Amino acid sequence: MSDTVQYAMQYVFDFGTQAQHTFEQFVPGANAVAMGLVTQLAERVGEPQLYLWGVPASGKTHMLQAACQRMGAQGLPAAYLSLAEALHPGVLDGLEQLALVALDDIQAVMGLEAWELALFDLINRLREQQVLLLLAAHVPPAMLAVRLPDLASRLSWGPVLRLETLDDAGKREVLRAHAAERGMELSDEVIHFMFAHLPRSLNSLLAGLEQLDRASMERQRRVTLPLAREVFISRIQPH
Amino acid sequence: MSQKTLWSRCQEKLAADIPEQQLNTWIRPLQAIEDKEQLRLLAPNRFVQDWVKQNYLKQIQPLAQSLTNNPSLTVIIDVGTAAKAKISAQPSNATTDSIRAKKAIAMTHGLPEQFEHNLNRTFTFDTYVSGKSNQLARAAAIQVAENPGSSYNPLFIYGGVGLGKTHLMHAIGNQVIEANPQARILYLHSERYMQDMVRSIQSNTVNTFKQFYRSLNILLIDDIQFFAGKDRTQEEFFHTFNVLMENGQQIVMSCDRYPKEIEGLEERLKSRFGWGLTVAIEPPELETRVAILQSKAELMGVSLPHEVAFFIGKRIRSNIRELEGALRRVIATSQFIGAPITLDSAKEALKDLIALQNRMVTIENIQKTVAQYFKVRIEDILSSGRSRSIARPRQVAMSLAKELTNHSLPEIGKAFGGRDHTTVIHACRKIAELREEDSRIEEDYLTLLRTLTNN
Repeated sequence: MSDTVQYAMQYVFDFGTQAQHTFEQFVPGANAVAMGLVTQLAERVGEPQLYLWGVPASGKTHMLQAACQRMGAQGLPAAYLSLAEALHPGVLDGLEQLALVALDDIQAVMGLEAWELALFDLINRLREQQVLLLLAAHVPPAMLAVRLPDLASRLSWGPVLRLETLDDAGKREVLRAHAAERGMELSDEVIHFMFAHLPRSLNSLLAGLEQLDRASMERQRRVTLPLAREVFISRIQPH
Repeated sequence: MSQKTLWSRCQEKLAADIPEQQLNTWIRPLQAIEDKEQLRLLAPNRFVQDWVKQNYLKQIQPLAQSLTNNPSLTVIIDVGTAAKAKISAQPSNATTDSIRAKKAIAMTHGLPEQFEHNLNRTFTFDTYVSGKSNQLARAAAIQVAENPGSSYNPLFIYGGVGLGKTHLMHAIGNQVIEANPQARILYLHSERYMQDMVRSIQSNTVNTFKQFYRSLNILLIDDIQFFAGKDRTQEEFFHTFNVLMENGQQIVMSCDRYPKEIEGLEERLKSRFGWGLTVAIEPPELETRVAILQSKAELMGVSLPHEVAFFIGKRIRSNIRELEGALRRVIATSQFIGAPITLDSAKEALKDLIALQNRMVTIENIQKTVAQYFKVRIEDILSSGRSRSIARPRQVAMSLAKELTNHSLPEIGKAFGGRDHTTVIHACRKIAELREEDSRIEEDYLTLLRTLTNN
């Protein structure tokens, strides 16, 4: 039992390393228009700048990654940067040499003078060089704690699009798609079980899928309800 | 050369090993210059360079060697750009690249015979929508474009963000270049001037920096307020300014405020900035906003129904950039769906924005904002006190509540300490009158209106 506990702990945080975020994989749900506009941008036939906002796990990062991937497929340089993880505004230097810049979690640096200035200057350079720009944050531009008005107005320069979280049907669809990609067979009853026993955020469901996959490989067993029970219920039980 | 490059094949292989986010953050930004013996990777900045060097180079090198069957192939990583490997998507052409490279060098080292201006050709006087709010600035800019260096020098344009200052500056440059293609015109943001200067100090090329700026015919420098508190930059700019003026070259500056109000700017600069003509750009009024929307839509080749332009113009009052953002949202959505632009489709496309505005514009919020603005207490606004110092803010708040919310007059009266609806009517009339007569009240009112409807 305690093996499983350890096991779960170890891999929940590992989730994501294998997942590929492409447009094909995105389950649009209520976000079909947003997805369409991001796709057009990445194919260089749409708007040059888009701002995406929505609660965590609404698909912002997925969109940004997919756009970078699509640029890469066209042989064009692109950069994805999460500003929540970036340590120094200098990471924005020189990005105007690329074809697309995708900045995630921009709320993380709002109110920080050096960052705001660097971001402002970057947007000017990108405009001048006609480089595509994707921005993402938890909140719409008007609710960001921006100090520099010059930056605030530039964030709203292009369409501002809200991403909504998927409903349960959408989440099921995502789970099935991810399972298919891993070559897993995922029955409706296992999905049902996961919905009943895991937090329903997409990220925790996907982490659960990862656990199931690993457990199935390790124990050389198919993904069945009994296996799901072992993996998830044992995880919650005290040892 | 239509075959896949070595670097794109490397990337495909790396995609299988490196987690996607890291791939997109560190590998995809790299550009490559390849030859038989070397794969030279170019990072946009030293952060990317360092990270790739430390973490991925040992993976990339053997990969590149095995893909080329060349065990002596070396992989190095520098900071820089492969001239125009990017958006233009045109097949790379050695001649134009080398010309570009020379021009870029000329830009930084100030060789007079190689000069490429950097104007945005779409920002012309023709595409600049004029209205009451920007008439004077536009007229002055046209004057300057017709007689650079001799009519108003410097021309100082000030106004809030996103009102079209940059557009006017480019328009001046574009008109001059039309008449005189040889003119050395530089548009730049003051922040860039500063960076250029710092770089020239670091690389010991201050003289070429000076020479370059002093050799211009027209210097268009944006957002000069960023010079505030930067003494060294101000010092250098002071000299650039003087040399250009002495030689009769034109300077056009923009700023978010009147020169005298820039804190942290040397007096001698403030006074020089006021030597020529100082003109303001005000936020556009509704008619101009509608005209701007229609002009922008036309430029995008879209016919925008008047009622839709009117709807967007009425909703977005803050600045032209946000106006453009909203318009682009409406157009992009309708084009994506393949449906015509109607009032309903516009409302649907902007529903988040509207919901947000509605949430922010409550009577309570108006009272709070107005109280803060006039430095009175909310309790005073709700009280029965009639002294001018609180009656005026109260009337302004009532009038704003009428304009910005859907509440009825009795509801508004009730929310203001249980007043009668006729008091609200009176307040609205009074404020309308005062706005006509007293420019300060007009300004207060508009500022509050913008504060409440955006941010």
